[in-house]
Amino acid sequence: MPYIHDRYDALVIGGGIAGMQAALDLGEQGFDVLLVEKGPSIGGVMVGLNKVFPTLDCSSCICTPRMAESAHHPRIRLQTYTEVQAVRRDGAGFAVELLKKPRYLDETACIGCGECELACPIEVPHEFDYGLGARRAIYIPHGNAIPQKAVLSVEDCVFCGKCEKVCPADCMDFTQLPERVTTMVGAVIVATGLEITPMDAKPHYGRGLIPNVMSPLAMERIQSSNGPYGRVLRPADGKVPRSIAYVQCAGSRDRSIGIPYCSRVCCMYALKQALLLRHYIHDVEVTLYYMDIRAFGKGYEQFYRRALAEGVKVVKGKVGRITELENYDLSLRVELLDEDQRLVERRHELVVLSQGLIPAWHPSAILGIEEADDHFIKAPDLKVAPSVTTVAGTFAAGVAAGPKDIPDAIVEAGDAAMAAANYLAAMGWNGTAARVPVPA
Amino acid sequence: MEYRVNLALPAELNRFEEAGLNIAKCFNCGTCTAMCSLTEGERSFPRRMIRYAQLGLEERLLESAEPWLCYYCGECSKTCPREAQPGELMMALRRWLTTKYDFTGLSRRLYLSHAWEAGLLAGVALLVLALFLLPGWLGVPFGFAAITPEAAEHVRLDLFAPRHVIHIADWVLAAFLLVFLGVNAIRMIYYVRRGHRDRQTRLSDWLGQAHQLIVHGVTQKHWRGCEKEERRRWLFHVLLVSGYATMFLLVVVFLGSFQRDDADFHWTALFGYYATATLMGVTLAFMRDRVKKRAEISKYSHVTDWMFLVLLFLTSLSGILLHLARLLDLPWPTYVLYVVHLMIAVPMLVVEVPFGKWLHLVFRPVSEYLTAVAHASESRGVQKATVRVVPATQRP
Repeated sequence: MPYIHDRYDALVIGGGIAGMQAALDLGEQGFDVLLVEKGPSIGGVMVGLNKVFPTLDCSSCICTPRMAESAHHPRIRLQTYTEVQAVRRDGAGFAVELLKKPRYLDETACIGCGECELACPIEVPHEFDYGLGARRAIYIPHGNAIPQKAVLSVEDCVFCGKCEKVCPADCMDFTQLPERVTTMVGAVIVATGLEITPMDAKPHYGRGLIPNVMSPLAMERIQSSNGPYGRVLRPADGKVPRSIAYVQCAGSRDRSIGIPYCSRVCCMYALKQALLLRHYIHDVEVTLYYMDIRAFGKGYEQFYRRALAEGVKVVKGKVGRITELENYDLSLRVELLDEDQRLVERRHELVVLSQGLIPAWHPSAILGIEEADDHFIKAPDLKVAPSVTTVAGTFAAGVAAGPKDIPDAIVEAGDAAMAAANYLAAMGWNGTAARVPVPA
Repeated sequence: MEYRVNLALPAELNRFEEAGLNIAKCFNCGTCTAMCSLTEGERSFPRRMIRYAQLGLEERLLESAEPWLCYYCGECSKTCPREAQPGELMMALRRWLTTKYDFTGLSRRLYLSHAWEAGLLAGVALLVLALFLLPGWLGVPFGFAAITPEAAEHVRLDLFAPRHVIHIADWVLAAFLLVFLGVNAIRMIYYVRRGHRDRQTRLSDWLGQAHQLIVHGVTQKHWRGCEKEERRRWLFHVLLVSGYATMFLLVVVFLGSFQRDDADFHWTALFGYYATATLMGVTLAFMRDRVKKRAEISKYSHVTDWMFLVLLFLTSLSGILLHLARLLDLPWPTYVLYVVHLMIAVPMLVVEVPFGKWLHLVFRPVSEYLTAVAHASESRGVQKATVRVVPATQRP
């Protein structure tokens, strides 16, 4: 479909699990949805995860069917590699201005064979593996990417032309330019998701410069069967780590870095990763340094007990400093609150910082909706209408509205879809029957 | 061992920090302790101190030497996830402990009341003035009454304030200070030992570590264990101590050569110049830090912190002006400056040293000494008994 219609019932911004769920819920009700994703593939953070707590289901096994459904749904128009530039109130709906970024190839002609990728001589760190693996300058985002279309990173490309020579569909086009597309929508759902706290947020945790001090998302990739190493190794020297530490609240509940709230998922993902590490590496020692274990959801407390039973150690005390030792091991300075309040230096071979969640996008300038004090989208009527924002017709779902786990994000996406449907019905939005395609 | 819970303790401690403490915010994560590069093993702080304060365990605080082991680099306050300012609590604790070690109760009044502080300083200053004015009415040739026509022409300090008289007064003053500093130190040792009754020490530990008193008193060497940026403040402080000690020795021991009677230059002046330069330079630098709120420690200034710096600066200033007046052979300015100099220096020594911030010059080395003694006894493998804390409500 080389076009976008001039009119949709709803715009969903963000193609992660919350955005896909909201789009599908609206589509199933008969609304026409424009689903916009800024990256080259939908799936969000979830498609890169290894397994999900507390069921230990394979994350992509749950995520990829949603991705395929969103991409092939007759009522959903999926627009990847596109950014929302402006949303303005226009009569009953919103005028939306999109910026379609160039993939430097004909997206409809690309068959996703990957020949270009194999021919490309340039290797750069892969964003999908949080810099641990490599990708080419032209690449298909990852094995589960939807759409399975190549994208050329023009910053990395040396214009050698090898991809163009090997492309069997002859779809390369180095002359593409960013395109502006405008359309009308009746309602907007913001599901722009999360970033994790920057690795250099706390100066005493190595400023992100110590290779064996990892982000939790990088650890997800390392644990994944389609991860960069194919097994659990530590990045600095490729050694199998025998002793792994998790530093809880490394990027949340900390006013000194401006993130005073609890990110709600870190305890559980750390316990999950720790438990799986016990499965993946024989006799590995995994220790969580924590302030409180917040295992609040359905089945979570049981999961915590299971992790303890399977040998995950928990130590009460927040880590103050992490120092790299000569053989890439790490020394953690911590007060053992439950053990005579002793101050000790503990040695570990790999450290994962349990970073918190921060909003990935600040939509206030574009959508005019307000942010709360924690910089997530404000819900003025949080108890009874959690997905309703301060601008009528604009709704929020997933981590964009506040830190939450996958089940909560899905529930909230359903709520946002329902609220948007009610809103469209109440205002008498006159549907999309008479719409015409806009060339794009 | 049982402890009484004092529910009013947080409010009480709050009175020792003018900007107010934030310890109620603390959720006891232990970041401050882990950040502190001076804390070690079971002598962990500041979090444990905050916990005692939150729980109202007044006696446990009284029995802790830890507040004096902290040199306030401020790293704990900078990194505190709750902005509870542990560093400032440690500072307030040092003030509070000073009032607790002091048996006269004067120190508490000085810390909590500006009127008492100003009144006492002014009172002693007037007393000094009276000492130079009153003898004349009684017919004793001392002070302004001793200014003969000759002494009005040329500087004759030996007539105005005879060396041997002033020297005796110096010794009295030194003895006064020694008594109060000594008693305070002994009370501190008593409290800290009371808290660690279970830890057996031997006389050999106490004697073997006695040199620590001198080492830490002179060098404050553990301060160098703080963050790197602290080196500047440590160096300045050592200079200040050296200047102060030099001046103290000149006045108390070598007054016979230091107080000159003529416009001649004497070698003791060289030491005087060194002391004056360091005292004035360092107090100015520290005052600048406090005005600019440069480091964590300089952000919250108690009146006593200012008094400490200002009095020291003014003492040095009046001292060097007195020296110049004498060298220029200006009799009246010399005599007036002599009295002014003493009106600043004596109140500082009589009020601030035994009852104020100056006391840290004893408490810091003593706390380091106690810690070294404990280390020595622990290295012999003495087992520590467990301490049980019982809330007041559960007491029989």
